[in-house]
Amino acid sequence: MSEGEANGAGAPILVVEDLRVAYDTLAGPAMAVDGVSFSLKAGERLGLIGESGSGKTTMAMALLRLIRAPGRIVKGRVLLDGRDILTMSVGELREARLRDIALVPQGAMSSLNPVMLLEEQIADGILAHAPRTPRAELARRIEALLRGVGLDPSVARKYPHQLSGGMKQRAVMAIATSMRPRVIVADEPTSALDVVVQRQVMQTLGRLQGGLGAAVVLIGHDMGLIAQFADVVGVMYAGKLVELAPVEEIIAAPRHPYTRLLIDSLPSIAAKKRLIGIPGLPPRLVDLPPGCSFAARCPYAFARCRTETPSLQSTGGNRSAACHLYPEAQALPPLGAASGEARP
Amino acid sequence: MSGGLKGLRMKLAERRIGGVLILGLAILALIVLFSLVGPLFVDAHNAHVGAMTPRRPPSFDHWLGSDSQGRDMLTLLVYGTPNTLKMGLIAGIIGVGLGLVFGLVGGSLGGAIDTVIRVVADALLTVPAIAILVIIAGNLDRMSTNIMALVVASLSWMFTTRTIRAQVLSVRERAYIEVARANGESEWEILFREIMPNLMPFAVASFVGTVGSAILAVISLEALGLGALEETTLGNTIYWSQQSAAILRGYWWWWGPPIVVIALIFLGLFLTSVGFDRFANPRLANRA
Repeated sequence: MSEGEANGAGAPILVVEDLRVAYDTLAGPAMAVDGVSFSLKAGERLGLIGESGSGKTTMAMALLRLIRAPGRIVKGRVLLDGRDILTMSVGELREARLRDIALVPQGAMSSLNPVMLLEEQIADGILAHAPRTPRAELARRIEALLRGVGLDPSVARKYPHQLSGGMKQRAVMAIATSMRPRVIVADEPTSALDVVVQRQVMQTLGRLQGGLGAAVVLIGHDMGLIAQFADVVGVMYAGKLVELAPVEEIIAAPRHPYTRLLIDSLPSIAAKKRLIGIPGLPPRLVDLPPGCSFAARCPYAFARCRTETPSLQSTGGNRSAACHLYPEAQALPPLGAASGEARP
Repeated sequence: MSGGLKGLRMKLAERRIGGVLILGLAILALIVLFSLVGPLFVDAHNAHVGAMTPRRPPSFDHWLGSDSQGRDMLTLLVYGTPNTLKMGLIAGIIGVGLGLVFGLVGGSLGGAIDTVIRVVADALLTVPAIAILVIIAGNLDRMSTNIMALVVASLSWMFTTRTIRAQVLSVRERAYIEVARANGESEWEILFREIMPNLMPFAVASFVGTVGSAILAVISLEALGLGALEETTLGNTIYWSQQSAAILRGYWWWWGPPIVVIALIFLGLFLTSVGFDRFANPRLANRA
């Protein structure tokens, strides 16, 4: 991405700098997002992947400044076209939400108000930004939005419980794109949908994004789904971004050991083999030990990993990884070369 | 023909409007109709003292006889029922209105305001309302049906407040509220456009309940002689029959009819309330 910038292919629309979000607990603050930085240009698709508790959803919420107590944004900047979302006034923030940056929430089932007609719910978002929209124009826009997500305009007069899961997710996307946002944050938009519907929903999201020329941050834990959709993949572990690279490169040759294990744990149709998980559990986010937070589970770990926290650094091309193997190593050495003791 | 009827029945079943709700509404409609149409058939002068021979049992000319002051009982019922209903409705509307406002404010703002509302509501709920109402009503110089309604309304808001507040606390944590916030809706828009519609079944249910208990409170005060005695109401009729020892003297047509009308009002309200509950709470609908 930094290369694209240098080529002058357009200024980034979304820049996240050293974002840190903590949840205050009795044992002390838990750093759910711990110094994440990245940038996105218009039309670019970033997939953020990580296991449960890696800070993905907290990250999505922080991009829209939706973090509520006991969570708090400790520091960092979220620049949307140069304006910092985290320091905007409440009025500016309300203006920016949906119009500039929109959320496709997790779990469409619970994201629609059960006692309101769909058309009312779509209208609410539009009216919050353009209160004087005439009725006829509103109806026309609602119809166009529903058609845009592949729904029949007649569902406007239905309640959420009259729609299937896939239809609800489409409806939620219609609402999210109603003000033509420039950044779409999609937080596991396909959770709780079956695989066929997942594919349709992702295609719809891709089509909408293409039409708007918007940047997308797609958050998920399904490597297959992310790999099909994203241009760039970011891997999160214990609140940190540990690897960032174009999708083909990260699949072909992961740089960070965690990414390698994540990809290795995917079932493959071509090569029948025993599935291996990643041994161990993610660390508690309160009182993290010094050093790399993945060290305890990492087959490549060496002494330095347990004392010094690695930061995200370039590993050649437009890729980067947070691992002490670099810059000495050119690529991740084959696993046999490492101790291998940790594997089952 | 039968197809249309079947369609209607299926529609009712689909919307879970059971026979209970229909029966309750029918009883209430009958009483309202009685209040509206009744005055066309009786002479208002017959409600005045000395209008006819006192203590007459029911006859063809005077269906419900007369009391010991010579008032026609049917005329008293026709003019008393709407007054009693009116007091119940006014007290119910004000009580539920206050309850909605307090519940919404407490539930959505929280903090010190919420604590004050909650503590006052809890404290008043533990004190028997009638004891406070007797003191208030007994110390007012002037009494009319409207003042009576206001007095009762002043203690009719606590239950609605608790119900609405609890619902606001629950609904405001739902995912779709967070999504509305993510879509740039203001806190006011969220409160009135997203949360409010979720409260309507509860508001309707507590309205029916509040009107019922308001009517009960009004009648209790009137039966104690604390009502607007110069006006015609069902409670006042009971008060006068007590004063004249109507039960001991066997004037059943004096104390009987107002009690039947009051019982019908309560039955109608109760059935409506149960019916609405099933309507608003689908989990109750299919329970045998």
